[in-house]
Amino acid sequence: MTKKFYNAVFAAGIALVLACLMIGVKLNTEGTQLTVTGATTEQWAWIGLGIAIVFLSQLFAGQIDRAFGSLPKPKIGHLLPEEKKMAILKPWLFAALVVGLLVWPFMVSRGAVDLATLTLIYVMLGLGLNIVVGLAGLLDLGFVAFYAVGAYTYALLSQYFGLSFWACLPISAGLAALFGFLLGFPVLRLRGDYLAIVTLGFGEIIRILLNNWTNLTGGPNGISGIAKPTLFGLEFTRRAKEEGNMTFHEFMGIDYSSSYKVIFLYLIAVILMLFVVYVINRLMRMPIGRAWEALRDDEIACRSLGLNRTAIKLSAFTLGASTAGFAGSFFAARQGFISPESFIFIESAIILAIVVLGGMGSQVGVILAAIVLTILPELAREFSEYRMLLFGLVMVLMMRWRPEGLVPMKRPHLELKQQ
Amino acid sequence: MKNLKKTILGLSVSALMLGATVAEADIKIGLAGPATGPVAQYGDMQKIGVMAAIEQINKAGGVNGEMLEGVIYDDACDPKQAVAVANKIVNDGVQHVVGHLCSSSTEPASDIYEEEGVLMITAASTSPTITEKGYQMIFRTIGLDSLQGPFAAQYVIDKIKPKNMAIIHDKQQYGEGLATSVKNEVEKAGIKPVMFEGVTAGDKDFSALIAKLKKNNVDFVYYGGYHPELGLILRQSKEKGFDAKFMGPEGVGNPDISKIAGEASEGLLVTLPQSFDQDPANQALVKAISDKGEDPTGPFVFPAYSAIQVMTDAMKATGSTDTQELADYIRSNTFKTTTGDLDFDDKGDLTEFSFVVYNWHADGSKTAAK
Amino acid sequence: MTETTLYVIQQLINGLTIGSTYALIAIGYTMVYGIIGMINFAHGEIYMIGTYVTFIVIAGLMGMGMVSLPLILVVALLLAVIIASTYGWTVERVAYRPLRGSNRLIPLISAIGMSIFLQNYVVLSQGSRDVALPPQISGGWTFGDPSLFEVSFSYMQLIIWVATFVAMGGLTLFISRSRMGRACRACSEDLGMTNLLGIDTNKIIALTFVIGAALAAVAGLLLGLYYGVVNPFVGFIAGLKAFTAAVLGGIGSIPGAMLGGLILGVTEAMTSAFFPSEYKDVVSFSLLVLILLFRPSGLLGKPEVEKV
Repeated sequence: MTKKFYNAVFAAGIALVLACLMIGVKLNTEGTQLTVTGATTEQWAWIGLGIAIVFLSQLFAGQIDRAFGSLPKPKIGHLLPEEKKMAILKPWLFAALVVGLLVWPFMVSRGAVDLATLTLIYVMLGLGLNIVVGLAGLLDLGFVAFYAVGAYTYALLSQYFGLSFWACLPISAGLAALFGFLLGFPVLRLRGDYLAIVTLGFGEIIRILLNNWTNLTGGPNGISGIAKPTLFGLEFTRRAKEEGNMTFHEFMGIDYSSSYKVIFLYLIAVILMLFVVYVINRLMRMPIGRAWEALRDDEIACRSLGLNRTAIKLSAFTLGASTAGFAGSFFAARQGFISPESFIFIESAIILAIVVLGGMGSQVGVILAAIVLTILPELAREFSEYRMLLFGLVMVLMMRWRPEGLVPMKRPHLELKQQ
Repeated sequence: MKNLKKTILGLSVSALMLGATVAEADIKIGLAGPATGPVAQYGDMQKIGVMAAIEQINKAGGVNGEMLEGVIYDDACDPKQAVAVANKIVNDGVQHVVGHLCSSSTEPASDIYEEEGVLMITAASTSPTITEKGYQMIFRTIGLDSLQGPFAAQYVIDKIKPKNMAIIHDKQQYGEGLATSVKNEVEKAGIKPVMFEGVTAGDKDFSALIAKLKKNNVDFVYYGGYHPELGLILRQSKEKGFDAKFMGPEGVGNPDISKIAGEASEGLLVTLPQSFDQDPANQALVKAISDKGEDPTGPFVFPAYSAIQVMTDAMKATGSTDTQELADYIRSNTFKTTTGDLDFDDKGDLTEFSFVVYNWHADGSKTAAK
Repeated sequence: MTETTLYVIQQLINGLTIGSTYALIAIGYTMVYGIIGMINFAHGEIYMIGTYVTFIVIAGLMGMGMVSLPLILVVALLLAVIIASTYGWTVERVAYRPLRGSNRLIPLISAIGMSIFLQNYVVLSQGSRDVALPPQISGGWTFGDPSLFEVSFSYMQLIIWVATFVAMGGLTLFISRSRMGRACRACSEDLGMTNLLGIDTNKIIALTFVIGAALAAVAGLLLGLYYGVVNPFVGFIAGLKAFTAAVLGGIGSIPGAMLGGLILGVTEAMTSAFFPSEYKDVVSFSLLVLILLFRPSGLLGKPEVEKV
C-alpha cells in the first residue's frame, strides 16, 4: 500500500509539472514583445482537479483495471439465437436491415439523410482499408491518396468528356486500383514500418501534385460543378440541365422536392456500400482471403507453404485501393466540388482510426466505428473545442482497455458439438 | 461552473438543431462559417458583424414587424462539412444565409443554396470562380480577388516601377489567385516578373527561397497569401541581408505580422479594403461593438454587418421574405450600408469596391501610402 | 568564385542548418525504434512543446527583468529539457508500457492518439495562433563578391551546427561508453535476453524516451530561436520530416539519423534552389521511396534477418 501511495504521489507530481508550464502560464504578445500571464483561479482549480484525479486513479489503479477487466465484454454471439435457428433467421434479419436502410430516409429530415450519406462514404473507406490493414496486416498511412484518385477521376472525366457518374464509377475504381498496383509493386517488399512511411509519403505526393498541376486539376481552386448522378438519365434538379433531358419529378408526374436528390444520393451510397460488403465478404471466404490473413499472422510459414507473398499482398493493396476509388468518385458526386484540401493526412488517420476502433478485420466493427466516428462529432458539436482532444484520448484508452476493437473479428467457423 | 453551463447549453442547442422545426414568428438568419478550427478567428469577425447588425435591427423594431434571429452553423472551413451545413440549413427551413467564409466552403455550398432557393450573401469569400456560374441567389458584400489583384498591379506599375519583380504565393486558392492576377496585369504593362513561384503554407524555413531571390537581384516582391508565411519571409530576409520592398494583399494585413516579423515589417505595402471602422459615420457602431468587449477592427466585421443590412432593406422594401423577390430587388437597387453605397451586378458581385494601399509599420499600425 | 558556386555554397549552408535540426529530432525516432521496434508518433509534439517551454521561460525571465541573455538561455535550455523529458516519459508510461507485447499496430495507434491529444492540449492551453519571439541572437558573417552574390552565415546557424554536433557526439559517447548506454545497446540486440540478465528493461526503455525527448527539446529551443515562431501544429510537420530522415538513414542507427537528416535538408535546399520550391516535398519523398527501393533498410540500417 505504501508503495502504491508513493507511486500515486509521484504521478501527481509529474502531472503537476506537465500542467504548470502549459495550462498554468499562457504566452501573450503585447506590441511586439512576448509576455506571459498566469492562469486564472478557475484554471488553477481545474489543474488541481486533474491532479487529484491522477493521484486517485494511480492509488486505485489495480481496482480500476480489475473493474474494467471484469466488465462483461459484449458477447454478441451469446445474445443471438442458436446456430440452427440462426441459419434460418439470418437472411430475414439481413433483409429487414436492408429494407430498413432503404425506407428510413423517407421518414427523417434531409440533414440526417445527408449525414448518413457522409457516414456511408466513411464506411466504404473503412472497409477498403480494412482489407489492407485488418486482413493483410499492411500498415497503409496514405490511403487517402486512392480516395483522391477516385474523386479526381470522376471529376475530370465528367468535366472534360461529360461522362456520367455510372460510367465513371468502374473507371475510378479501376484507376485507383492501378495506382495501388503501381505503388504496391515496388514497396510491398518493405517491412511494415517502412511501408507505413512510404505510403504516407505517397499520400502527400499525390496531394501536392494535385495542388500544383493547375492546368489539369485546377490546383488549389479544385474542380467545381461536378455533375450529380442520374437515374437512367433522369436528373434530380428543378429544371433539366440539357435540352431534351427529363427530370425525375416530371417523369414521375410528382411535385419537385429537393429532398429527392439527397435521398437518391443516399440510396446510391447504400447500394454501393452493400456491394462492397458483399464482395469483401465473398473474398474473405475465398482462398485469397484466407491467404491474406495467413500472411498477416505468419509470413514465414506462408512462404514455406509456397504462397506467393507479393501476389497476395498486391491483391490486397489493389482491392483496398479500388474500394477507396469507389468511395472517392461517390464523394465527388455528393460534393459537387473537390479540392486537394479534402485529401490531407488527417483523413488517412481518421480512416485508420475507424478500422482500429472497429476491430481490425471485422466488417461489422468497421461499419459501427465509422458510424460512431462520424455521428459523435456532429452530436457533440458544442464540445467542438474538446472534440479532437477527446478523440485522441479515446484512441489511447481504447488501445489500453479494448485493443481488439468494438466488435472483434470473428472468423466464420464451424464448431463440433461436444457429446 | 461556467464550463458546465456551456456544455448544458451546448447539448440543448445541438438537440434543437437536430430535430426541431423552425418557429414561425421570427426570421431566421443562418450564419455559416468556421466556429472551430485554425481559421476560427476569421469566423468570429463575421459573427461579430452579423450579431451586431441583428441586435441593432431588432432594437429598432425588427423587419416588417418580425424579429431577426441569428443561427450559427459551424463548417470549420472544411468543404465536406460545408455541404453538410448547407443541407442542414435547407432542412431547418432557414431561407437567408450570411456566409460561408472560406471560398472552398462557399463554392460547394452555394450550389445547394441556388438549387433550393436560399438567399446567400457572403462577406468574406473573395474567389472570383464562385459567382462565375451565373447564380441567382448568391451575392457578396466584399471585393473580389480579381479586383484587388489589378489594383495592386496598377500601384506597382505607376509607383514602384520595379526592375526585377518577383511574385510569390502560398499555393492556396486565395494566394495563387491573387498572384496570378497581379502577374497578368504587370505583364500587360511590360514588366516581366523574374520569378513566379509557390511556397508551402505552414513552412517555417524560407532561407532557400530568399537566397534565390537574392541571386535574381529582386528589388520588389509581391506575396499572395496570409501573414504567417510572409511574416517569416520578412524576418528571414532581414537576417540574411535581403532588402527588397514587399507587398501583400489584405490576408497579410493583420497586426500579427508585426509580431512575427518585428522591425522587418516596417515599410511593407498592403492593399486593404477601406478600414470601415475608421469611417466617422460608423463610430457609434464601433463603440457599440467595443462596449460588448468585441473587436470591431477585423476586415470582415463591417462587410458582414452590411450583408444583413442589404437583406433587411430588401425585405422592408418588398414587404416579403420570398428569396426570389429579394434577389431581384437586390440586383436592381442601391443599398446604403456601413460599407458605403452598394450596387450589385448580374452575377451578384459588387460593382465597385475600393481598396487602399497602406504602409505597414513595425508596431502593427498602418498609414495610407502615397 | 563564380556566382553559381557562391549560390550553391549559400544553399548548402541553409540545407545543412535545417538538416541538423531534422537530425536532432530524428534521433528520438531512431532510438525508440532501435530498442522496442516501434515508431513514436508523438515525438514531433514533444519538439513543439520544447519550443513552447523555451518561449515561456524566455518571456517570463525577461518580464521579471533579467537581462543576461546567456543566463536566460541556459535556464530556458534546462527547463525545456526537463519538461520535455517529463512529457516523453509520460508518453511512454501512458501509451506504450501498458501495451508492451501486443500486436505492433496497437501501440502505433495509441501513439497517434497521443499525438492528437498533445496537439489539442496545447491548442486549448495556448491558443492556435502563431506565437512569435523577437530575434535574440542576430548578426553573422558575409563573404563572397557583393557584385556577384553575397553568402551570409549567421551566428544562429553556427550555433545550430555546433549544438547538433555536440549533442550527437555526447550521445554517441554515452551509448558506446557508459553503463546505461551498454544496457541500451543490449536491449536493442535482444530485449528478452537483456531482461533475463537482470537489467530493468522497462527503465532502459523509459530512458530512451527521455533522451529522445531531451534532444527534441534542444531542437525545439534552437529552432524556436532561429525561426522565432511556434504554433501547435509545427510538431506534426517537423516530426514527419524527421521521421523521413530517420528512415532514410536507416531507422535504429544513430549515425544514420544524422546522415539522413543532413541529406534531407540539403536535398530540400537544392530543390528549392534550382526548381520551383513547391516541389521540394515531392522530391524529398520521392528520394525516400527510391532509396528504400534499393536499400530496403535505409542507408546505414542493418538488414533484418527473419528468424522462425
